[in-house]
Amino acid sequence: MFSNFFYKCKEKGLNITLGEWLDLQDALNQGLCESSLTQFYYVARMILVKSETEYDKFDMAFEECFKGVKNETEVGKNMLAWLDKPEMSKLLHEEEKHWLNQIEEIHVDKDDVEEKFKERLKDQDSEHNGGSFWIGTMGKTQFGNTGGNVGGVRVGGSTGYQSAFAVVGARKYRDFRDDKVIDNRQFQLAFRRLRQFSTKLDIPKTELDIDGTIDKTCNNGGYLQIEMMKPRKNAVKLLLLMDSGGTMIPYTKLLNDLFQAVNKSNHYKDVKVYYFHNCIYSKLYKTPECDNGDWIDTEWLFRNADSDYKVLIVGDAAMAPEELYSDTGNYRGPNGGLSGYQWLQLVKRHYKRVVWLNPKMAPGRAPWREAETAIKEMFPMYKLTVKGLNEAMIKLMATK
Amino acid sequence: MAEATFNSTQDYVASKELLSSVNVAIALKKPLLIKGEPGTGKTMLAQAVANSLGKRLIIWNIKSTTKAQDGLYMYDTIQRLYDGQFGEEGVDDIAHYIKLGKLGEAFESDEQVVLLIDEIDKADLEFPNDLLWELDQMEFYIHETKRTVKAKHRPIVIITSNAEKELPDAFLRRCIFHYIDFPNQELMEEIIRTHYPDVEENLMKNAMKIFYDIRSIRDIRKKPSTSELIDWINALQIGGIPADKLREQLPFVGVVVKKDEDLETVRQQLP
Repeated sequence: MFSNFFYKCKEKGLNITLGEWLDLQDALNQGLCESSLTQFYYVARMILVKSETEYDKFDMAFEECFKGVKNETEVGKNMLAWLDKPEMSKLLHEEEKHWLNQIEEIHVDKDDVEEKFKERLKDQDSEHNGGSFWIGTMGKTQFGNTGGNVGGVRVGGSTGYQSAFAVVGARKYRDFRDDKVIDNRQFQLAFRRLRQFSTKLDIPKTELDIDGTIDKTCNNGGYLQIEMMKPRKNAVKLLLLMDSGGTMIPYTKLLNDLFQAVNKSNHYKDVKVYYFHNCIYSKLYKTPECDNGDWIDTEWLFRNADSDYKVLIVGDAAMAPEELYSDTGNYRGPNGGLSGYQWLQLVKRHYKRVVWLNPKMAPGRAPWREAETAIKEMFPMYKLTVKGLNEAMIKLMATK
Repeated sequence: MAEATFNSTQDYVASKELLSSVNVAIALKKPLLIKGEPGTGKTMLAQAVANSLGKRLIIWNIKSTTKAQDGLYMYDTIQRLYDGQFGEEGVDDIAHYIKLGKLGEAFESDEQVVLLIDEIDKADLEFPNDLLWELDQMEFYIHETKRTVKAKHRPIVIITSNAEKELPDAFLRRCIFHYIDFPNQELMEEIIRTHYPDVEENLMKNAMKIFYDIRSIRDIRKKPSTSELIDWINALQIGGIPADKLREQLPFVGVVVKKDEDLETVRQQLP
């Protein structure tokens, strides 16, 4: 029964197994759904979905199956096909490229752009190239790709100038987890520095202290007296927050190396890895794709990763000033009522040790990179090189 | 359904979804996994289920050091060694030194019981996986005495988690899952009234307003939960605090806000 619903759930990314599906059938057979759609919704949800973070996906699948409503905010396949015109970029004149370099001087109202984008997305029904209204290639509107406008919403395509506000629908970020054989030994060695052996941890005495037991037993006139001790363990807990934004694409390999190194360093007490897009807001993503919904609350992280975690933020800190300062500056997800700058301050306030690694840090002060300068004042920032990483590790371990 | 079903009890108010998830879990003979913010009544649920169905409740509290084995049985080797030295009686009988854990106790019980595995996420990452077979088959094997302990009556298993750690997929697949939302104001009123049927209207309204205001302060590190509000209202009633003085004086606010930093924040930012 309802096998299209099963596939719809799978399509939405819910990992449902046959066993769980059969359980649902069993529940239906036993009449637990009471022939009511609402009851069926709850029963199906409690059997098929095992995390509140996936409720949203389930809701979407349920709605599509049982109400026939298509989700409208996603960029359709047709739209992406219309925009797939790599040959167009060759036509861009040198002159226009020159004009693109003047990025900083152009002021764009982002809210306005986003509003219009949604509107057009709804209304557009055919391919457009070189116009000034619809979403298309080679055009002058603020949406689409290979266009002459600087500061708009990019739809698909490859990042040529890294100036578009959003890379909506681009699913090109490779998962950093894909195991590649690379030489990241130097990175791994750097991570070895993060070590703090302690027997003062709040853990029970679980190891047999052989010397102590012999001593005690001898003193006890030969009658056995067991002595236990605490095992020596690395007490360092690491929280890795990685930028997976559009401007980070050129550094994918470097980040991959870094991620592999952390992954192979299994000597930490705990490692948590989350991703963000350009700046940290109220949500942190679980995968580098930064898919909407596949996230956790930043505040949840504050509650669950205490202030002893050593925090390593990796990002290029390259963003438009409003992405950092405006409380509606997050164009990909919710802001949670605070600006990116305020969120970063919360991170700083919550954690005792935070460092920022930047793959393309400007030397000294760089007034033309406003966001980077502001973040540098908040967190110690190091360039993402072996040397920089070593310095960052020393900073993380410093006692005061 | 012919079997007994679970309903809201006199001292536990449950939403309709929660009720049906308990009943589905009983009907499908699967463990029920309950998640939710601290203080939303996850642990209380098991007590309420046991009361409502008239069954005994066995609680297995999980700590960071708990091993799956602890729930099954313990073989007290050291006691046996000591006893051996002094030539105590019964040393040659291993069964004498086998003590059943909470899970074992639930299996061996002569009547169906409700087993609460409380805060399963406190334990090691592998802990839930180590229990898969036992929860599926409702049996385990004692190597030392070559005895299989099999459940006489399949216990109703309720598992709670604070979402501190992700639970393994293989484990989740076998559970019925329910997430307890933080109660909205309406449900909260009902919950308070179940605890204090004759609470003064104004006092409750004001306390609830302040409570939700405190929860909405972003800087706060530990958001107060339902159980803390209930304690607070109790303290206010006993203290005889007039309802209109609550906001300016914040009496007994330590019951609601537990951290020093948070106290400071609340005093500064409470609207």
